[in-house]
Amino acid sequence: MSGYMEMHLNSPDDGPAILDFHRFVLLFAHRFTDRIRFVGELEVEHAFVEGLEEAGELELEQAYLDFLISRAFNVRAGMVLVPIGIINERHEPPVFHGVERPFVDTVIVPTTWFEVGAGIHGEVGTGLRYRGYVLAPLNALEFSAEEGIREGRQKGAEANVRNAAVSGRVEYLSVPGLQIAASGWYGDSSFAVPRLDTKVWVAEADARYRLGRAEMRAQYAHVGIGDAGRLNEAIERTTGVSPNVASQLRGFYVEGAWQVWNQGPARDAALFARYENFDTQFRMPAGFVPLEEFDRTAWIFGATYYPDPDVAIKIDYTTQKSQSGFIRLPRSLNVGIGWWF
Amino acid sequence: MLLRTAAVTVSVLTALAAGGARAEQDSPRKINVEAERFSFSPSRIKLAVGEEVEIHLRSADTAHGFKVENTDIDVEIPKRGKGEAVVRFTGTSEGRFKFECNRMCGAGHHFMRGEIVVEAKGK
Repeated sequence: MSGYMEMHLNSPDDGPAILDFHRFVLLFAHRFTDRIRFVGELEVEHAFVEGLEEAGELELEQAYLDFLISRAFNVRAGMVLVPIGIINERHEPPVFHGVERPFVDTVIVPTTWFEVGAGIHGEVGTGLRYRGYVLAPLNALEFSAEEGIREGRQKGAEANVRNAAVSGRVEYLSVPGLQIAASGWYGDSSFAVPRLDTKVWVAEADARYRLGRAEMRAQYAHVGIGDAGRLNEAIERTTGVSPNVASQLRGFYVEGAWQVWNQGPARDAALFARYENFDTQFRMPAGFVPLEEFDRTAWIFGATYYPDPDVAIKIDYTTQKSQSGFIRLPRSLNVGIGWWF
Repeated sequence: MLLRTAAVTVSVLTALAAGGARAEQDSPRKINVEAERFSFSPSRIKLAVGEEVEIHLRSADTAHGFKVENTDIDVEIPKRGKGEAVVRFTGTSEGRFKFECNRMCGAGHHFMRGEIVVEAKGK
């Protein structure tokens, strides 16, 4: 058994400080044979789960069988992580800076994005890796103006597969310290209202580079939602409120970090800065006006201290701005501790 | 089976601390491999039949495993800043030897794989 945990203190300037045991995650692995293996990942979010309450979540984020056939071709089936972006498949607390995950990896790429399905993965040549899955689609009736496609994840819970989605990722890893990748997702997400034609696509590119004490990472993600105008009308008929879902969402971030103390554990610390730009109302369907408060930028400055390579003590200061002249977004001081074992 | 008939493993040395004792032999080619969630770099190591290589394994983050299929090479790569693991490998016949991380290291653990390719001299 392995796992990771993270606990956060978020102190915004417009409200009370919140202390949250954000994630408690256990990973299980079993080897049936050298070529047939199981991995499971069970997560409790926000420490407490109560039925029908907007409190914590108990999530089965991974539970798959890997059939390892060759280096170039392997088969995976079960609950898998959607292979999109830097964070979704690589989110143990010591591997990213900042107390919270990037905003782009929350409202544009809805991490942690997991779904039931099956697919293939492997590596060809020296450092060219791929994976491709067929998965349950998103549920477009849950899309929103603020968080885009996030609430549309079916999470493998009796997922409707009237339509299937496909997702894939290609990574180039041949240069030491450098990882360049591109990924995508495509699926008809209007199974709940079949007369709609809500085809959704996600296109994403990212890179990480580490050289000496410096580390840089960048990610761009773009989401398209087909038939968004009629989708808004359909949701309004159900809820009475138009969700103002956009036809396109877009976000990117760049981050630089410098290892200011690199004498090995426990003399190991880094400073970082990250700029994010994310707009969940980037393009609107005809007849809909974008809500400017959801066209946002953020700066995050902070430090990560590693008393052990598997333990990260984090502090950051986060400022957010929106294009709205009326709504001010909070600034917050965040402190966190996360560990892997 | 080719993989099974190739006699490959020479020795496994773990130098968790600087100065780990090691018998001096003919100096094999040194290859540095970095392990990081969730990849080895490089993930493919090539050598000629009869060539001996010394693989120095370091981690950029947590502890990883390094197990080479059909050999007795199975070591733990220490966490970042806590030293390295060193293994020696000699290919006595052509073949491909898959290696992997066999210590759970995170959500993408099963992607940490690679191979040692032993080729005929001059290839």
